[in-house]
Amino acid sequence: MKDNIPTASTLSDDGRIYIDYDWYGGGIPSNVRFGSDVYLDTAYGFALYCSEHEPGLSLGNATGAYDRTSFIVGAHGRIEVGDYTVLNGTYLVSNERISIGSHCLIAWGSVITDSWAGLAHAPVEARRRILRDAAADPLRRLQPLSAPRPVTLEDNTWVGFDSVILPGVTLGRGSIVGCKTVVKEDVPPYAVVAGDPARIIRYLEPDDTPEARAQALRQFAR
Amino acid sequence: MSTTAQQTQLFHGLVPGATIPGDWFPGRIPENISVGENSVVDSSFCFKHYYSTARVGLRVGSHVTIWRASLAADEAACIEIGDYCYLANASLVCTERITIGARVLIAGGVTIADSDFHPIAPAARVADTVALSPVGDRRRRPQVEARPVVIEDDVWIGYNATILKGVRIGAGAIIAPGAVVVKDVAPGVEVAGNPARVLGERER
Repeated sequence: MKDNIPTASTLSDDGRIYIDYDWYGGGIPSNVRFGSDVYLDTAYGFALYCSEHEPGLSLGNATGAYDRTSFIVGAHGRIEVGDYTVLNGTYLVSNERISIGSHCLIAWGSVITDSWAGLAHAPVEARRRILRDAAADPLRRLQPLSAPRPVTLEDNTWVGFDSVILPGVTLGRGSIVGCKTVVKEDVPPYAVVAGDPARIIRYLEPDDTPEARAQALRQFAR
Repeated sequence: MSTTAQQTQLFHGLVPGATIPGDWFPGRIPENISVGENSVVDSSFCFKHYYSTARVGLRVGSHVTIWRASLAADEAACIEIGDYCYLANASLVCTERITIGARVLIAGGVTIADSDFHPIAPAARVADTVALSPVGDRRRRPQVEARPVVIEDDVWIGYNATILKGVRIGAGAIIAPGAVVVKDVAPGVEVAGNPARVLGERER
C-alpha cells in the first residue's frame, strides 16, 4: 500500500493519504487504490466521496486527476479508471459503477453520472422527500431518485468540455464526444458525436492497434 | 485525528458575518444576508464574487444546502433562495434579482444569470474591460441590462444546464442536463436542448 500512493504524498495514521503540496486539508480516503505514477492536483475532489466499496475508486498507472476533478460517490458507488487517462476537471457522480478505460481524455466541466436518470417521471412528492432527507443528514447526502445504471467509457474515448454522459451509457472504444454534448444513448466504437441530443457525425479509422500503443509508450514516455 | 474531524465537518451553518472554522478560503460570510434555520454552506469561497451592498443581498430560507456554489452578486443585487433548496457546484450570477422558490434542486455545473454580464455595444465593452482590469474601478462599470430570473417551487435543474436572463420557470418543471433555457418554461413540463424545447408534459 505504502508504495502505491501518489508521488509526494504521505499515508497518515488516520488511514487517509495527504498530498504534500495540497492546498486542501481533507486528504484522500483509505479505500482509494492507485497504480504506479498516478498524479492528483488536490484532495479537494474527495469532499463528497462516501464509497463503502473496497476499493471505491481505483486509478490506473500514470493516470492524472487534475484541477477540480470531483468524485461524488455514494455509499454504494464505485469508480474505476484505467492507465494513462486524463481527468481534467471533470465531475464524476456514482451510486453504482462508473468504468473508465485506458488512454481516455475527459475534459473540464464534463459530468459523468450513473444516477439521476428519468427525473421527469418521478412524482413531485418523491423529489420533495429527497430534499427533506438531505436537509436532515449532517453530510447532506442526496439519495438518488431512480435506480442508478452503470456507465462505461471504453479505452481511448475522448469527452469534450461541458458534456454530460448520462446513466446507462457506454462510449465505445476510440469514440469522441464533442463539447457541450448530452449523451443519453450508447455511442458506437470510433464514432464522433456532438449536439444535444447527441448525433453521430462520422466514424474514425480504428488505427489504435496494440502496435500503435507500444510505439507510443516507447516514443513518448520518459 | 483532527484532520478526520475537519473532513467530516463538510457543512457549516450559514451565519451572517461569520468566519467558518477551518475554512480553506480566507473569507467570511457577508453581513447583509438573511438566513432561516438549518441552512448550511461548505466555504466562504461561495461568496468570492459577492459584492452586494443592498440591505439584504441574499435571502436564504430554512434547510438549504449550498455546496461549492458561486453566489456572484453585483452591488444592487438580491438573490432569494427558498426552503429546502439544494445547490451543488452551481453559479448564480446576479445583477438585479434572481428568485428561487422552495425545494429547487440545482445540479453541478449549472449557471443562472439575470444579465449578459457585459454590455452589447462594442465601445461600452471596451470601457467594461478597463473598469474590470486590475487598474480599473469596477463600481463605475457601464450599465448592463438585467432582467430578473424567477424559478418557482419544486423545479429541478440538471447538470450543466444554463438559465439566462428574464426567464421564469414554472412550478415543478424539469430542466434536462445541458439545456440552455432562454424563454419561459411552463409549470410541470420538461425542457431539453440548446435552445431548450419542451419534451413532454408531466402530471402534477
